[in-house]
Amino acid sequence: MQFWAIIIDSFRESKDRKIFWVMLLLSSVVAAAMFCVSFQPGRVDIMFGMWTIETSAFTSADGLRADRLAAVIIDGIMDHVLGFVGIVLSVIATANFIPNFVERGTVDLVLSKPIPRWRLLLYRYLGAMSFLGVQTAFFVVLTFLVAGVRWNVWLPGYLLSIPLIILLFSFLYCISALVGLITRSTITAILLTLLGWVIIAGVQSLDDMFVLYPDWQKSEAAYHTARTARWIVPKTSDMTRLAKRWGHATNFLFLVEPETTKDRELVQRAEKQEAQRAAMNPVVIIGSSLLFEVCVVLIAMFKFSRTDY
Amino acid sequence: MTALAITEMTNWAVDLIDVRKTYRGRVQALKGVNIQVGRGEIFGLLGPNGAGKTTLVKIMMTVVKPTRAFGTILGRPLGHRGKLARVGYLPESHRFPGYLTGAQLLDYYAALAKVPLAKRKANAPRLLDRVSMTAWANTRIDRYSKGMIQRLGIAQALMNDPELVVLDEPTDGLDPVGRRDVRQLLLELKSKGTTVLLNSHLLSELEMVCDRVSILVDGLVARQGTLSELTERTLEYRVHFKGQVGAEGEKLRALGGHLDGDVVTFPGRDVGKVNAAIDVLRGAGVLIESVQPRKLSLEEIFVEAMTAKPNPRGAR
Repeated sequence: MQFWAIIIDSFRESKDRKIFWVMLLLSSVVAAAMFCVSFQPGRVDIMFGMWTIETSAFTSADGLRADRLAAVIIDGIMDHVLGFVGIVLSVIATANFIPNFVERGTVDLVLSKPIPRWRLLLYRYLGAMSFLGVQTAFFVVLTFLVAGVRWNVWLPGYLLSIPLIILLFSFLYCISALVGLITRSTITAILLTLLGWVIIAGVQSLDDMFVLYPDWQKSEAAYHTARTARWIVPKTSDMTRLAKRWGHATNFLFLVEPETTKDRELVQRAEKQEAQRAAMNPVVIIGSSLLFEVCVVLIAMFKFSRTDY
Repeated sequence: MTALAITEMTNWAVDLIDVRKTYRGRVQALKGVNIQVGRGEIFGLLGPNGAGKTTLVKIMMTVVKPTRAFGTILGRPLGHRGKLARVGYLPESHRFPGYLTGAQLLDYYAALAKVPLAKRKANAPRLLDRVSMTAWANTRIDRYSKGMIQRLGIAQALMNDPELVVLDEPTDGLDPVGRRDVRQLLLELKSKGTTVLLNSHLLSELEMVCDRVSILVDGLVARQGTLSELTERTLEYRVHFKGQVGAEGEKLRALGGHLDGDVVTFPGRDVGKVNAAIDVLRGAGVLIESVQPRKLSLEEIFVEAMTAKPNPRGAR
């Protein structure tokens, strides 16, 4: 009863924000744009044939290449539209959920209810994620339907992107919640969360570079530090790789056409790196990232339980 | 009968013993408060700003953790969740989410208080009607006036059919009619056996409804008791008469009276002086209209308590 009361309240708060509707509109625009594209042997028609791109990248003798279309949808559209723009907007939109919650005059009444504080914060935390949950489900299901109806490419594995993206967002939102709880400042929560994301992405990219450029591994201390750091931070880029793997998407590098030997080598190494990362155990990726999240949320719960309001 | 059952049967709805709170920065908000509120009574908590009233209420409602505290709420230790579900609370300067409607707000807070759905559905319209907010039930709260928000706040405090209602400045923002409605509501609650703890700055309001009051000064209980106990002390006698006292006025002044037109006032509680004055007045041939003892008002007790040293043990 208390759980659903808080979840429903959080969803009502989400709906009250203009950004919620703007994001739904953006998702609809992306889906509409996808609908205007069709694939023909040797070409891609845009806006129902108004523009044409000559390419046979998406077709074969057997018809459309679902793995490549999946790469465009998951790696291209979902990763960049939802995985970046969507998450940045969601971080901004949800950053004041916790500061608002602990505002004097608001928090008094909820703390007087017969519910432990840790549970109150946990429910609120989960409630804030309903914002991105609705957005992700809307975007993924809409684009899934467009791909199926318009191109006859059904990608059931793509639907697994919904929990993966929500998890990805939760890894960042835990930082936002903790900062918002301690500072009670929305701006600080946004800035530190985005900074945290940059650091997390930086740590993962640095580790990737060691795979891409094996010579770097000669510096053992740096290599092991990068490896350890990667294990500690949430694996946000690996989550996207998991989405591609589960969506049966091919490597997006098929669009790159290397012109020199050096380029070809680089692409080969990048493919090797992608293959290595894609082979990672999903339990390890999700489990170690969740461990980070659980630690941050536990700190937030401890702080919330000990604070006078 | 178990010890627990005996504890639950105590007459105190609120029994707070040695409540202390020291905030960070070593600010001592409460220095050992003892307060007892009987079941079914309306109890007023008084005190100047910074006396610790709101801190005490917040400790009762588990919003603030005490540095040290003993005692019970509805027969169970402070913070007992089962009993918290039986308490209604209206905090001071509350802020309700503007995106909710009045009806949604009542349902939300009642669900947090573990009120079953059927009871929530039955209580919400009844209470909205009781606080004259039925017409606004489906309007967003951010369109409400301050008085409407306060009335809604009172309704939410009653959604769980509480045994104890804790109201912090309940008439804040209400017009005179709204205040009268709240007073009537408090008396209704009392008639149903609900205990009410009222924290208010408005002494006249408390005087009208409270059975007992406690005056907090500087984190300690300075006075506590029934209104009649606190106000029983007679301040002065006033003798009203008709006619000219003439030269007898000097005799009245000699007795310690202050003559002002048709009234002579005798400070203190010396009835002998009043009787002597009556003899003097009769001797002067004037008609005695009335002799009125004037007792302390709550405001005077309040001011007196603020200037006197509080009793560290409180008044039990």
